[in-house]
Amino acid sequence: MATIKKLLFLVDKPPYKSENSRLALTHAIASQTVEIHLEDEDNVEPVLAFVGDGVLNCIKGQKALDAYGITSLEAHIKNALLLDLKVIFCKEDLDKFGLTEDNVIMDAEDIGGDMIANILPFADILGEMEAADHILHF
Amino acid sequence: MGKLAIGCFSSLVGSMSLDFAIKLSEAAIKKGHQVDIWLSGNATMLSKKGQRKFQDYSSLEAKTKDLISQGLNVTACEACAESRGYHKEDTLEGFNRKSMDYYLASCFNSDRVIHIGGE
Amino acid sequence: MKLGVFVNQYTKTNSTLDRIKTDNLGIILVQNGVYHAALKENGKDSDILSKAAKVYALSEDVISRGLSPDKLDKKVTVVDYNGLVDVIFNDYEKFIWL
Repeated sequence: MATIKKLLFLVDKPPYKSENSRLALTHAIASQTVEIHLEDEDNVEPVLAFVGDGVLNCIKGQKALDAYGITSLEAHIKNALLLDLKVIFCKEDLDKFGLTEDNVIMDAEDIGGDMIANILPFADILGEMEAADHILHF
Repeated sequence: MGKLAIGCFSSLVGSMSLDFAIKLSEAAIKKGHQVDIWLSGNATMLSKKGQRKFQDYSSLEAKTKDLISQGLNVTACEACAESRGYHKEDTLEGFNRKSMDYYLASCFNSDRVIHIGGE
Repeated sequence: MKLGVFVNQYTKTNSTLDRIKTDNLGIILVQNGVYHAALKENGKDSDILSKAAKVYALSEDVISRGLSPDKLDKKVTVVDYNGLVDVIFNDYEKFIWL
């Protein structure tokens, strides 16, 4: 019987000063190829949730490729949406920083993605923690 | 007995988090549990050849090799290693190098996961 | 949810930990986190000790910092690595390292 296990990637570090949020995204995106290591039909369902200072990864218009010569966290978040990963930004934390859905990466339409990011209260993220089989906190 | 996955993303020297991961692994293996360690980011350096032991720096090579001989599995993130100029031929005997999807599979197959982020 | 939270820093607040609500919460003080069990800044206990949680401290990290396991707050259970393995497998199902 197929088993699907949910892994919650919980990100509370801001971008660029450490590798944490980048590695959260690259590992979550690696779920696309995890099947090669698993039994037939088993799989992993990743969920990415940005909380605390981690919501600063989600600001639109990042120019890291121009400034640092490295892929922006914005590009990685868009790739996650393009691959239909569930992406959540904590509402209270966006509010705290004065960010709204106009300022953050809500979709990946420009690269052909259909998935929309979710702005949810922390209580719902706690629900994701309860639903997850394991939590990876970056 | 259970299976424990430990993902460690912290530095070999300075953070003490890899020291924690190895000591926890040792205790778990002694109790009969299986342990699978994933090294990513700066933690990949644990699996690199040529480490010199000084008393002022964490030195985990000998202990880790001993635990590998007792069944510990240690795998380093290939991309993280390559980006640090550390190539396949530099990997210590008994350590593995794989792509990131391996860690997710390790989490899938484990009863408990302790993910230790980077600094 | 049986959640074990490793606290490895001595920071006064953590917005994630402050907002976690679950019936079975364990806080495991490791590395610099053990100061929460030992220090009383301006005579006050760390806020972590007032949380509705079972609190553990790793003995090796306590003694390495010149602290005495006997003098930690009475709420704190001191464990060694062997004890910690049992806590991990017997008492909690998921973990966060803060």
